[in-house]
Amino acid sequence: MSKKRISIKFAGASGQGINTTGLLLAKALNKEGYKIFAYREYPSLITGGTASYQLDVSNSQINSSSRYSDILLCFTAESLDKYFDNIKENGILVYDFKNYSFSQEQETVLLKKNITKIYIDSKSIATDAGGTEIMSNVVMLGFLWKILTLETDILIDVVLDFLKNKNIDLEAEKNAILAGYNSPSYRPELSKKFDLPQTDMFSQKSLIMTGNHGISLGAVAGGVRAYYAYPMTPATSIFKFLGDTSEETKILVKQAENEITAVQMAMGSMYMGTRALVGTSGGGFDLMIETISCAGISETPLVIFLSQRTGAGTGLPTWTGAGDLNTAVKGGHGDFPRCVIATSDAISGYTLIQEAFNIAETYQIPVIVLSEKQISESLFSVKSLPKESEIMRGLSEGENRYELTESGISPRWVPSKEKKPYIHNSDEHTEDGTSTEESNDTLLMAEKRMRKLSLLEEHLPEPKLYGKSTPEVLFVGWGSVKNTVLDVIEDRNDISYLHYEYVHPLKTKTLEDFIEKGTRIVLLENNQTGQFGSLITQETGYIFKERLLKYDGRPFFVEDILDFLNN
Amino acid sequence: MSLTIKDYNSTNTPTWCPGCGNFALHASLKKALVELNISPSELFMSFDIGCNGNGADKINVYGFKGLHGRSIPLAVGAHLANRRFTVIADIGDGACFHEGIDHLIHAVKANYNITILIHNNQNFALTTGQATVSTQEEKPMYGLPKGRPERSLNVSKFILSLDPSFYARGTSTDPLQLSEIIKSGIENNGCSVIEVIQICPKYNKDFSPEWAIQNIKKTDSLENYNNLSLKNATEILDNSSIYTGIIYRNNTLKSFYERVHNRKDTLTELVDEVKIQDTAHLLKYFE
Ligand SMILES: Cc1ncc(C[n+]2csc(CCOP(=O)(O)OP(=O)(O)O)c2C)c(N)n1
Ligand SMILES: [Mg+2]
Repeated sequence: MSKKRISIKFAGASGQGINTTGLLLAKALNKEGYKIFAYREYPSLITGGTASYQLDVSNSQINSSSRYSDILLCFTAESLDKYFDNIKENGILVYDFKNYSFSQEQETVLLKKNITKIYIDSKSIATDAGGTEIMSNVVMLGFLWKILTLETDILIDVVLDFLKNKNIDLEAEKNAILAGYNSPSYRPELSKKFDLPQTDMFSQKSLIMTGNHGISLGAVAGGVRAYYAYPMTPATSIFKFLGDTSEETKILVKQAENEITAVQMAMGSMYMGTRALVGTSGGGFDLMIETISCAGISETPLVIFLSQRTGAGTGLPTWTGAGDLNTAVKGGHGDFPRCVIATSDAISGYTLIQEAFNIAETYQIPVIVLSEKQISESLFSVKSLPKESEIMRGLSEGENRYELTESGISPRWVPSKEKKPYIHNSDEHTEDGTSTEESNDTLLMAEKRMRKLSLLEEHLPEPKLYGKSTPEVLFVGWGSVKNTVLDVIEDRNDISYLHYEYVHPLKTKTLEDFIEKGTRIVLLENNQTGQFGSLITQETGYIFKERLLKYDGRPFFVEDILDFLNN
Repeated sequence: MSLTIKDYNSTNTPTWCPGCGNFALHASLKKALVELNISPSELFMSFDIGCNGNGADKINVYGFKGLHGRSIPLAVGAHLANRRFTVIADIGDGACFHEGIDHLIHAVKANYNITILIHNNQNFALTTGQATVSTQEEKPMYGLPKGRPERSLNVSKFILSLDPSFYARGTSTDPLQLSEIIKSGIENNGCSVIEVIQICPKYNKDFSPEWAIQNIKKTDSLENYNNLSLKNATEILDNSSIYTGIIYRNNTLKSFYERVHNRKDTLTELVDEVKIQDTAHLLKYFE
């Protein structure tokens, strides 16, 4: 890894403000001109357990986490125990609870890895500075700032701005930061233990946003006027952002009584001619599947955002994974065309959600947009958002709603008083929408629908190749794995990465060229069975000889790729 | 040019059994639409799956025959997108009180301005006569020679317990009254629940036109019946006779959209707003 990057982790109990502390750190470092990538780990409970917030920091774009932290700051003994092994060689451990006794084993590790441990009584420092114990978080931030050798102005601005409407004593808050900054626990050697890259203070500042923010902004930009959802991590934060900003955007944000309702409402709204989005995760998506099949046969445009988490059943509800590809591509009874698109970061979410609506409306099919907890809830540095995509709706008028056409696409017009009424029918139907059970009618209509899939496949782009066309190793993947692999191979010209955004229907030409050349190909997926690999096999007959799969709820860390390459 | 029933007729011939209550129900509906001067292009109807839903392609309006139990949320989605349309969710008793009972509860509570038209033939008819929760308890039904071992749901009381803005009951044996009821339901600003006790000559033979004449009474026949009174409504539902008419109205409720804060001053409908929207004003949250 030649890119200069360091990693800082806050860890403590859920409910201790770990997330807020991490967010403040991200905002302040962003204002300092750094590029950041923020990754959260937290349990599915409200208070207790262990939660962490890791920020990887660099002076150039960075999109993934290291497995190890240069600086680990702990608020509880449990979190220290949990993350102790992940402190980097030559790292720093800061903790703020008294009476923690390090085991003999731990002491040995500290010595061997040359890790410096520092106790700081952040609660007393906070109260001595005129604040309350909760302000121990910003005391830690102040102390960290000193270690990072940064000036306090930006940090103080960020913290005070964040808290300004929250009925908090801002003066005390400021004093707590300064007290942490000036704590006598600081020693100058600390700041020499890592290599924080320089930033250009005058360069244009990035925005920092999560993948779900990217989806939300893309939805707004692309003319989505209604959002229907039922709470489920990691999709829920879209509901929050679109709800919190709904006075500005005038989008209708409706919490539905369950996922079936949400998706049915979306289908009804789309039939009427607006753009409506639904967001959900695994189990909620399963509940929507009957409706996807209904949208398929009735040729109703529909867009479902599916943010994946770990495992079958309830699995690991707050951890990441990419194991819902099979259900996204294949879920639903009967044969019908659909499109499945995978995002990988905030910008791709912003762009692809707009494309999803264009495809759904143009081809009159259900479109599923995939994300992962790792994308949905991680913070990305975004230089600027791309220009909005042109809105394409494929509207036209005709005699029959389900006219049998060569392209497979029939006229669809927005219902209005001036126009001819028509029925959408989940029964097999004739051109005018009448239910039918005749053999010939059935064949004609089923084949008409499936022609749309061929047409769509023709129009979709080939997967994107990163790196040269004659690599030693070619990784193939989709979703968040892109972020890690690109961070790793940025400066290696022996390794390339082939990234799929459109995972169904599948484009295979580029990949088949590599297969033909005999390139060493490695499948990279965040699931147990290599679901995407199986889809490729199904289409091409190619069986992957090497697969790097991860399915423990954690994303790929840079070391996962490095270790693979080094072994 | 004024509308006639013909304007709502599709070219398809109905497929219901001779004597099925759905004939009268559709006729009553079309008559109501003519009298309210709602043209086929101003109405959206969602249809369920069942004998009731087999009427989907027998009426010429903007329609959607979707999934079993889901005609209510589908109608709600259409309503929320464009309030210039009159919206009706057509549904059977199996769909409404079994597969999709959650939707009925929430639609009434949200008070969307739609009309829910329940075809209550007291059985799952299209799947050939299974018991629903409104089938008489001891009555032998499909696969249940000794009747259903569960208690019935008094659907009227259940609906009333939700405090709907409009609840009326009609019957397919009195299409004129039913048509008037449907008109009132459509005109009501809020979620109107109309239960139609419906003849099913195949699987609910006990309910015949003769039986109806003898046993069904009208709220209109009651002196001083006030459908704004919950007490009056409860009293007649406790009565052993079946009453039809507008059973209950609550005219103090606001409809859903009137309570959606961010849309209060918006003059357009969601369907009018699909265009590129500027996001620059939202970027402040990401600094
Ligand atoms: C999800 C699902 N489950 C079951 C069915 C089978 N099904 C079709 S119609 C029907 C019963 C309909 O009964 P009801 O809603 O009372 O309508 P009716 O036929 O009596 O008018 C059932 C269970 C289905 N189509 N979809
Ligand atoms: Mg029925």
